[in-house]
Amino acid sequence: MDILTFMQQMVNGFSLGSMYALIAIGYTMVYGVLRLINFAHGDIMMVGAFLGYTFMAVFNLPFSLTILLSVVFAALLGILMDKIAYKPLREAPRISLLITAIGISFFLENAFTVFAGGVPRAFPVPSYMENIFNVAGLTFSASSITVPIVTMILLLAILYVLYKTKYGMAIRALSFDIKTVNLMGVDANMIIAIVFGLGSALAAVGGIFWAVNYPSVEPMMGVLVGLKAFAAAVVGGIGSVTGAVIGGFIIGFTEVVVITFFPELGGYKDAFAFVFLILVLLFKPTGIMGEDLEKSRF
Amino acid sequence: MKKLISLAVASALTCGVALAKEIKVGALMPMTGTIAAYGQTANLGVELANKLQPKLKNGDTIKLVLLDNKGDKVETANGTTRLISSDKVVAILGPLTSSNTAQAISIAEKKHVPIVAPVATNDKLTTKREYANRVCFTDSFQGEVVANYAISQGYKSAVLLVDQAQVYSLGLAKAFQKAFKDKGGKLLKKIKITSGDKDFKAVVSQIKQLNPDFLFLPLYHPEASMIARQSKQLGLTKPMFSGDGVANQTFIDLGGDAVEGYMFTDFFDSTNPPSQTSADFVAFHEKETGKKEVNSFTALGADSYNILIDAMNRCEDPTDSVCVNKEIKKTKDFDGVSGKISIDKNGNAIRSAVIKEIKSGKAGYKATVNP
Repeated sequence: MDILTFMQQMVNGFSLGSMYALIAIGYTMVYGVLRLINFAHGDIMMVGAFLGYTFMAVFNLPFSLTILLSVVFAALLGILMDKIAYKPLREAPRISLLITAIGISFFLENAFTVFAGGVPRAFPVPSYMENIFNVAGLTFSASSITVPIVTMILLLAILYVLYKTKYGMAIRALSFDIKTVNLMGVDANMIIAIVFGLGSALAAVGGIFWAVNYPSVEPMMGVLVGLKAFAAAVVGGIGSVTGAVIGGFIIGFTEVVVITFFPELGGYKDAFAFVFLILVLLFKPTGIMGEDLEKSRF
Repeated sequence: MKKLISLAVASALTCGVALAKEIKVGALMPMTGTIAAYGQTANLGVELANKLQPKLKNGDTIKLVLLDNKGDKVETANGTTRLISSDKVVAILGPLTSSNTAQAISIAEKKHVPIVAPVATNDKLTTKREYANRVCFTDSFQGEVVANYAISQGYKSAVLLVDQAQVYSLGLAKAFQKAFKDKGGKLLKKIKITSGDKDFKAVVSQIKQLNPDFLFLPLYHPEASMIARQSKQLGLTKPMFSGDGVANQTFIDLGGDAVEGYMFTDFFDSTNPPSQTSADFVAFHEKETGKKEVNSFTALGADSYNILIDAMNRCEDPTDSVCVNKEIKKTKDFDGVSGKISIDKNGNAIRSAVIKEIKSGKAGYKATVNP
């Protein structure tokens, strides 16, 4: 193994990990507020990718406008999902919410199979995203460095919203105690809707960048990515936004390291990611950045 | 008197209609899911062949019962059971991929219902099986064709990418590995992937370091197209070769520029129809779908139907599954859409292969290889 290949693999791991990180943020935020693992999150990512596909391939909109519109639509879908499926269950046991989330996940997958068909479609990648750069012998495409940058910007934006704004304070307060926050004059339902909107918007960005990096969209594309992002969120400490990003990178690097050092085991890279998850749950159940599950969030 | 005759004729006619039965034939195909592209193209062939020849010699009508197995093993098992026990089909066409076909065969075998697989190429599918038949070639033949080609081009070292979740991929990889080594080629590395993976940058970077002359990717199109794309991004420019798993337009759509020069083995090339039957089918295909180009899976779908009908015609009772199965295995030099097909006593087809290369977004014919 020469140093160049190793560095190249690190670049690859960085670009893959940031993709998981982007999606893990949404998981962790919804969990922080509702204690709900929103298993439909990976499918929201798929919907985001399909929205992107529709705006670009069908309406021929430019890439920037596509992202903007997809984010808005996905956010609305997230809010709608909360209103229809989760809001009526606010007082219900957590397990009902979890089952509902799985139900929504299946619903979205099958609805898109009916409308879009099961055949993967090629995503129209803007040509500047396919530009290739060579720096000191390392090769990477524009898309694979855009994602880490976008992830970092979004992470900072989310941290800003959480810690510097009135809404952020409400979200953090909500994560401690929904009932008390309600009594103090904050509209808890509105804040939850904002969280769902934000999470889904991030998932849509993740979906579009996923489709740019791996240019095919199909209704089942969110399943495995969603599971890995979930693993990332848990590894990083579910409930912590920074943790989700760190967890995303860990999962991404784990996959790449497996292929780099044990190519024969490359097919089991998913298994390694989940073994990592199990180890974290065994030895540090709160994850890397997570605190006591019953105490604070974010 | 006239009245009486016409009455007799009329009643004879109605009798005739009442006598002609409707016989059900099952089609089990992945119409949705990641490999839906295969199912939809193969099923098109079955449906077109049914349109061309909807009746048996004795006047019975064939009714196709299509079930979607979503490319999933559990759905395949359920679908096979349902076709046999509740729809009472005489035979099953499908279910395409080797993994799923193995699943369907294990059930149909016990119920004595023949399966005619259009494109399942794994060697082991028909061993020790009475009711398994296919109209496509096997992986050992396909692997040998690729290995021969590689050697003839002077490629001495190869890297093999195998999808460990697909029987097809494992079988074809093994066949290629053996043939390539026997002919003096050197296999540098065998890298395993799993279908559903999207990120292959790490794999591609590894291959780049190994620097082989040639890459063999016995994969299906979702993975193969992503590997081609990411290879281009990372500057890996080695000749790439796949089996029939990438023989469809979706592969080219997904791969874009990156699959230029990509080569694969296939069963059939619609620009070179091997016989009149074949040319007629190509024309009918164009009339029905508006498309000139016939996918090889469509051709094989049609052939699986045609060979089944041919065998049923030779049975006194076409609903007798055991007799139909015996007759399928007696097929000799059948004039199929995809070329001449004989089926041996094991249920394997003896037929030729074609090599294709992708040029300016089209799969072009390169050569025909006979067994």
